[in-house]
Formats: sequence, C-alpha cells, structure tokens
Amino acid sequence: MIKTAIKSLFAHKIRFILTAVAIVLGVSLVAGTFIFTDTINAQFDDLLDDIYAGIDVSVRADAGDFGASTEPFPAEVLGSVLAVDGVDVAEGGVASISIQVLDKSGDPIGGQGPPTLGFSWGEVPSLSPMRIKDGGGLPPSGPGEVMLDANTVDNAGFVLGDEVTVIGFLGPEEFELVGIGSFGDQDSLLGATLVLFELEEARRVFGFGDEFSGISVQAVADVDADELTERISLVLPSGVEAVTGETEQDEQAADINEGLSFLSIGLLSFAGVSVFVGAFIIQNTFRIVVAQRTRELALLRAIGATGRQIRVMVIVEALFIGLVGSVAGIAFGFVMALAIRGLMNAGGFGVPADALVLLPRTLVVSMLVGLGLTLLSSLLPARKASRIPPVAAMREDAARTPRRSLRTRAIAGTAITGLGVLLLAVGLFASVGRAIIFVAAGAAIAFIGVSVLAPLAAKPLADVIGWPLPRLFGISGLLAKENTKRKPRRTASTASALMVGVALVAFFSVFGASTKASISDTVFELFPADLTFQSENQNDPELPAAISPAFAVDLETYDELSVVSAMQFGRVVIDGDQQFLGAVDPSTINQVFALQPNGDAVSALSQPGSMIVASGFLEKNGWKVGDIVTTEFAHSGEVEMSVVGTFEADEFSNIYVSTETFKANYQYVGDGLVFANARDGVGVAAAQEAISPTVDAFGNVKAQTKSEIVDELETQIDQALALFTGLLLFAVIIAILGITNTLTLSIYERTREIGLLRAVGMVRRQVRRMIRWEAVIIATFGAILGVGLGIVLGWAVVKALEEEGFGAFSIPVGQVVLALFLAALAGVLAAIWPARKAARMNILDAISTE
Amino acid sequence: MTTTTKYAARLDNGIKTYGEGESAVHALNGATAEFERGHFTAIMGPSGSGKSTLLHCIAGLDSLTSGSAYIGDVDLSSLKDRDLTLLRRERIGFVFQAFNLVPSLSAEENILLPLSIGGKKPDEDWYGQILDTVGLRDRLKHLPAELSGGEQQRVAAARALVSQPEIIFADEPSGNLDSKAGAELLAFMRRAVKEFGQTIVMVTHDPNTAAYADRIIFLEDGKTVDEMYDPTPDSVLDRLKSLGG
Repeated sequence: MIKTAIKSLFAHKIRFILTAVAIVLGVSLVAGTFIFTDTINAQFDDLLDDIYAGIDVSVRADAGDFGASTEPFPAEVLGSVLAVDGVDVAEGGVASISIQVLDKSGDPIGGQGPPTLGFSWGEVPSLSPMRIKDGGGLPPSGPGEVMLDANTVDNAGFVLGDEVTVIGFLGPEEFELVGIGSFGDQDSLLGATLVLFELEEARRVFGFGDEFSGISVQAVADVDADELTERISLVLPSGVEAVTGETEQDEQAADINEGLSFLSIGLLSFAGVSVFVGAFIIQNTFRIVVAQRTRELALLRAIGATGRQIRVMVIVEALFIGLVGSVAGIAFGFVMALAIRGLMNAGGFGVPADALVLLPRTLVVSMLVGLGLTLLSSLLPARKASRIPPVAAMREDAARTPRRSLRTRAIAGTAITGLGVLLLAVGLFASVGRAIIFVAAGAAIAFIGVSVLAPLAAKPLADVIGWPLPRLFGISGLLAKENTKRKPRRTASTASALMVGVALVAFFSVFGASTKASISDTVFELFPADLTFQSENQNDPELPAAISPAFAVDLETYDELSVVSAMQFGRVVIDGDQQFLGAVDPSTINQVFALQPNGDAVSALSQPGSMIVASGFLEKNGWKVGDIVTTEFAHSGEVEMSVVGTFEADEFSNIYVSTETFKANYQYVGDGLVFANARDGVGVAAAQEAISPTVDAFGNVKAQTKSEIVDELETQIDQALALFTGLLLFAVIIAILGITNTLTLSIYERTREIGLLRAVGMVRRQVRRMIRWEAVIIATFGAILGVGLGIVLGWAVVKALEEEGFGAFSIPVGQVVLALFLAALAGVLAAIWPARKAARMNILDAISTE
Repeated sequence: MTTTTKYAARLDNGIKTYGEGESAVHALNGATAEFERGHFTAIMGPSGSGKSTLLHCIAGLDSLTSGSAYIGDVDLSSLKDRDLTLLRRERIGFVFQAFNLVPSLSAEENILLPLSIGGKKPDEDWYGQILDTVGLRDRLKHLPAELSGGEQQRVAAARALVSQPEIIFADEPSGNLDSKAGAELLAFMRRAVKEFGQTIVMVTHDPNTAAYADRIIFLEDGKTVDEMYDPTPDSVLDRLKSLGG
C-alpha cells in the first residue's frame, strides 16, 4: 500500500510540475515584458532627470498640433530671453536627426538600429547632460572638429585625432575627432550615436541659419520655474513657446512610454497566446486527473462529502498549482527580461545592464494571470468531479456520465466556431473601432470552437495519419494508432493546444507569402525608375530618413543618368488630423514615380502654394478641385493651400506638393527618396557602376534597382516572419509540454496494459516506439488542424486587405510541409520522457492485482 | 538444444527478499521445484506463502535475490532485460487472473500479440487448431470489452498457446470467473496438456481448480513443503488441512 501511495505521489509530482510549467512559461512572458519595459522606463527617467536637472524653462518653436519640436526659430530670441528678470543662465542650441557618421570602412554607424543624433556642444554644464569623458580630449571649439559619444568611439575603434566622416546637410565631410563624450555618467544614450559640434559649425553641418532649435534656461535661486516660464512667454515672438523643464521632461517621458508600449503590447500579445495555450493544457490535465481519481472522489462522496466540497477541493488544488506556477513564473520573468535585453543588445541597442525593476503592478498582473488561468481552466473539470455519483466507488462503469451526443458536440462546436468567424469578419471587413480586438477575440473563439469540434475528427484523422504505422512498425505502430483513438476528447484537446501555435505560424506564413506574391507587381508598378536611393538610417519609424540634399546635386553631374528626381516627406495637420505629405519635382516625377495623376494635375503643382490630393481622400473630406484648404505646418504655421488636382495612387501619402512649396514650409534637411533613370543606351548596371563613387561617398545611401527593392522587402518580410515564429515558439513549447503531460497521465492509466505487453514479450524499445508514435500522431493531428485554420485565417485577412493592394492569396507549400514535419518531430521530443517512463515500468506492479 | 532437458523449468534454492534488515520479508526462502515437460502442475499454499512470487521469478518477471531459476537450461539470472523479454516472448506463455488483454486490440489481435510483437506470422494449422479448441471463431473481431469474462480468459489462454511456448504460467486463471466459465477454461488448459503436450504451471488457492493438474506443489513460508500427484478436490483439501493451511 505504501509503495503504491509513494508511486502515485510521484506520478502526481510529475503532473504537478508539468502543469505548473505551462503556467510558469505563460506568466514569465507577461512578467518579463513588464520587468523589461519598466526597467527601460526607469532608465529613461533617470536619463531625463539628468538632462533636465538644471533646466527650469525650455524655449522652443511652438509646433501646435505637432507636439514637441526641434524646428528652428530666430537666434535673436535668446537675447530677449536673457533680458527677462529671473533668468540666471540661458543657452541656445541646435539639434538634428538628419546626420550620419561613417565608420572606418565607410559604412554608416547605427544602420537600422538606434538613431544618430546631432547636437551643438553646450558651454554651460548645468544645462547639458553631455560631459567630456576622463581623458576624452576637449569639446569641439571650431570648424572641422567633432565629438562623439564614448560607446560609438569604442565600437568603431576611433581614437582622438582620427578623421571621421560625417554626412550632414552639405554631404560627406571630414572632421577631426577632438572629444569623447559621455551622457551623464553613461557611455551611451541607449546605443544612439551622438555627434556634437561647436554651435556655428553645427548650424552649418545641420543646414541651419542664424537659428536655434531650443533654448534652455536656468532660473535664479528664488524664482519659481512656472513664474519664470510665464515671464519668458511674454517676450517671445509668435511661433515660439516657453514650457517648464518639468513639462518638457514629462512630454518626453510620455513619448518614450508610447514608443515602448508598442514593444510591450507586441510582447504581451504573444504572452497572451502562450497563456491561452496553457489554459488548454491545464484544463486537459485536470480533466484527466479527475477521471483517474473517480474512485477516490466517489469514495469521498460515499462517506458524506457534498458535490460542492468535491468541486472546491479540485479548484483549491488547481489554485495551489496556479500559485506556485505564478510565483515561479514571476521569478522566471527576470530571466525573460534579461533575455529580451540580450536580444535588443544583439540588435545594436545599448540597453545598459541596470538592476531590473519589479513594480507592484507586475506582481499583481502576473498573479492574476496565473491564478485566473488555472481557476478558469479548472472550473469545468471541477464541475465534472462534483457530479461523480457515490456508487462509482464500487462500480467502475457508474462514473461514466452519459456522453454528450456527437450531434450536440457538432452543433455547439459549429456555433462557437461560427461566432469566432463572425467576430473575425466584423474586425476585418466592417469598419469598427479597435478592429484588432475583434480579430483577436474572433480568432480565440474560433480556436475554441475548432477544439470543440476536434474530437469528432480525432478518430478518422488518427486513422489517416497513423495509416502507415502498423505497416512500418507492426504491433507498436498499431497500438500507437489505436491508443490515440481511445479517448478522442483527450487526443483532440491535447492536439488543440498545439493547433493554436501552429495556426498562428501558418497564418503569418500565408500572410507573408501573399504579401510577397503581390510585392513585386506593386514595386514595379509604383517605382518605374531604374534606380531608387534611400537612406539606410531609420530615425523616424514612419518617414524615410533624409538623404543629404548634396547627394541629388552630385548625381546630376553624371552623363549616364537621364533624370534625377528627389522626393521629400513631412507631416501636416489638416482639420486637427495629422497627415503625411510628399513633395515632388513636377517636371520629372512622372518619369520615375507612378503617381497616376488625373489630367495635368502634376504640372499644376508648379504653381506655389498648391497641392494635389488622392481622389479618395478628396472625397472623404468633401473637397473639390479649386478649394482652398487651411494646412498647418510645424515650420511655417497655418498656410492656405489650393487643391489643384487629384491622383489615384496613395501608397505613401494622400497629399503631394512641389519640392519648392515643401522648402517654403519645412526646415529642409534633405530628400526622403531620390530616383534616377539611366540614359538611353546606357544599361542600368553600367549607370549604377558609374555613379558608385557618389553612392559610396554618402555611405548611408543605398542604391537599388527595382528587383533589389523587391528582394529587400522580401527579406524584411522573412525577418518579420522569423521573429513572429520565434515568439510563437513559446506557445508551441507549452503545447509540447502538454503532449508530454497527457502521455504521462495516460501511461499511468495504462500501467497494467504496458506491464502485460512487457510480460508477453514486448522489449523496451518497442514500448518506447509505441509511445513515441502516439505522440507523433497527436502532434501531427494538432498541426494539421493548425495549418488548416491558419490558411483559412490567412485567406480571410488577405481578402480583407485586397483593396490595399493584396492581389494574390498564396500558400507557402514548402513552409507548410516543414511545419507539419517539425510538429511530428516535436511529438518525438514530447514523448522522450513518457516513453522512457513507460519502458521502465515495473512489470510486476503492472500485472499484480490490487 | 534446450528441449532435450527433462524439465521445462526449475527453481533451485530460490530466495526472494523484499526490504532490508529487520523489516526484510522473505517471500521465497529456499524454494526448490522442477516442472517436467508435458505436465500440468499447480502451486498451492496459503496467502503469503510466496506462490505468486515463485511464479514471477521462474517466469522471468521478477529476479531472485539468490538461487537459480531456469527455463529449459537457461539460467534466468544471466539474462539482461532484453534477452529476458525475448525469452518470455518466444518460450513462455502467460495467463493472468485479470487484465489479460489489451483493450484497444481485437480478440484476434490479442491472441496473436506475442507473435506480432516478434514480427511473426502464426502457423496456420496450429492457429486453426487453437481457435477450434477455444471455440472463439465468431468472436475474433470483437474488442475485449465486448467479451464475457470467460471468453476473455479463453482468449488469454489461446494467446499463451499460439507461440507454442515451452511452458505456460497461469496465475489464478479462473479466479475471476463463475464456476461454469472457470471449468470450461480449466478443461481447455487440460486438453492443451493432454493433446498438445503443453507444459503448464498454475498458481491457485482453490482445491477444485488445483484438481485439474497432474501434480500439486505445496508452498509454505516461502518453501516447498510437499507435493502430490493426480489430485482430486477432496484429496487436496485433506492435504491442505494436514498442512495447517
């Protein structure tokens, strides 16, 4: 008896661990995401505290609806500010994001990672966080001198006195590295490349006139910052505003927070998938456990426990596992946070290795997720347990509740799936707010619906998947196949957990393949130019980074090119809404970019102060050609623009103006895109070869032919797919653990049967093989459901996006086959432990009667 | 050739101890027994006398603490798990008291189990002969759950016979059956011995069951204490009484 009790305890321990692991993984992703983003936030807060420590008031261009701005304003404002009573020190500076440093081999530093930021060196230490590092030379004090942050210097292998190429407004120039700076006490501003010049030199390199992009003010000791801000506001010209340092700090903190929230929402979504998959597993485990404990529970009922007590008992047990799992999950969350940090740093971000931050919110949310997950998952099994009749203690078959009929299951499953699909369709096709919530809820409900239907498919599909097994592996194969058919619900429910992860992977693959299928048509249609040039920098996630205007000017000098045409991009505010705006050269744009203008809309643009509008956008705003529209620019303020025509393509922006109009309303720092065509008779390759000196000199500019653009976009899609798949790996790992869990429990149930097989001559290898193939069938079953569902979801989304240029629905056959193969392999992995356990089972325990 | 030895199986001074020190239990305490080919032997004894342990040790399901168990002339203690398993598969048949059949396999698949585990096909004549003797031809496609207790045990007996093993071990084969089904099963086992020359060793505590055997070995406190040939229920009962069991 004691032996059996210990044995059963051991079996329970494994079950306990495997169930808890499902919770740990889900919770750790949640906790890790919070810990990581909270830590970064805290780092930024420290940083901002450093930056704003001495700044009481900040004077800047009033960008109206654009929020904080680095738009320049006249330098004479500084004089007015200094004259205000209560100002102790004030210093003006300029800043630019359109700047690039080349490393020793002429490649741009930073690339797709953290941005490059240019500043003028501030003479007043209390107003600037930049310091000279010990032994780091001197601050830049005149023409031809530059200072870089210590991290960049180290990474690029520069030493003081090196000639460093910086590409600014005027194109590539050589500067002497005179200083190595630190940001506060950090060598790096989270991996950003910091480039500093003396003020006048900075203005020249950034393309500023006698202007500042900001003035920092320190108040005399007894003057309050708010009071001083008001006083300064009174002397400022229109278009320039004063805010307290604190306000600006808060604004920046909010911006950073918003930027980080993309990351955390993204990570949390994947954590959500893992938790969802975990719920399947936990529910399945509890259901099996309740079934296995039927006699014990019935005995409790027989000696007087109420159904309610049984229910509470099961739930309490679940909550205990949930509690342990959640606590371990939070602990493991620290590891997750470190892993995310490692990944970010591998991607070029210099996230400092500060102590991780655990906020109470993280604890509360993680515990709620972990406990809620187990509670919800245990409700149904607990209810089932409470309905076991006392007589089941004596008679095995009495516990068998009448099976819900297949028809009921089919109807319920179809209804739930239908509801999911409906929500999905609403999210995709109807224009509702927060469509993504409908899509996510729809997908989740559809998953549940399919998992309700899955038991109906379990037997026939197991027969199909397992068909070759008896032929290949004889009795082991036959038993593997038959065992999966024995408890179709258990098989289906275990497989459903894997289905979720696989479905999402398949969905992203289909989506990616369909995007790829239409991408080349779109690119060839949109970019008729032989060569397209763009910056490799990414300073603004929404707009292309500027290429120095000198680049296009240089290109014009080549005889091999027939046309060089530049486009600029910016933001405008119309009726309170921010819009993107593109600027083109009306005389050449038709040769290089497919704007699809209606009539002679493009040539009408030559007239200053005019714009053309996408026909859909025109209609939406109720405008017509000839209307005057009030448009707000960050630089020039409100401007009356006349609508002179319409166009059809709107991939980039809804509004186009001429480059001339653009320059009048923006701080012109460079071109977003430059196009060029090879002269007739000169091949594209020859032209590309001819202009390579200029392209190389500008380091950060990449020249691409149409097919190179397609290649790059395809690579980006593949990278995104790889990232998503990587994040979904968690859900898949949890699902695999689920298979392990189910098999372990099933083996426990089948102790005697396995003992019998061993007694009559089955060797351990055959036992392992039997369990292994059972796992493979379950995994393949889940993968088939997942791939099917993923393809259907992918098709729906591609259809929904048809209007946005998604032409072809395409199934990546190779990837689908690979996914099925990998799922089968995952089954093999899932079976390792249970198969070993089954093979080592003591034959005597198995065959001796109780 | 193993078949040349006189005994299908034998146990020589078998000792089986569970636990250690003071709490050690000697399930077998120097038991010695020989099982001749073509004989039907029953092992009897009060509960706790070690009769099941004896069966397990001699059938290669459990190992002796000391002493030797032989199947033919193969010393079981010299075999590793794999060889022991192969030996069970090829040379031994089993009939247990309950849970004899794999629930997911049909009656026929269960009968053929030892052969299919070894990847072998049945000898058609022999298989037909067994089926006729057990009388299950019309139940072959049924799953165990669809068979009566008696039918299930007959399937188990047919399975034990199908590989033509040197010896069949049966542990209370009729223990869970009503008297009619039990009698049918035992009669069938007896025929297997008489008509096919099968060797059978059976553990039982029931004198009526034991009376089907040619010979009975009595076990007490882990030792073989007595034996008897050509038993009848009454003679068995008398002997048990004299043993104090």
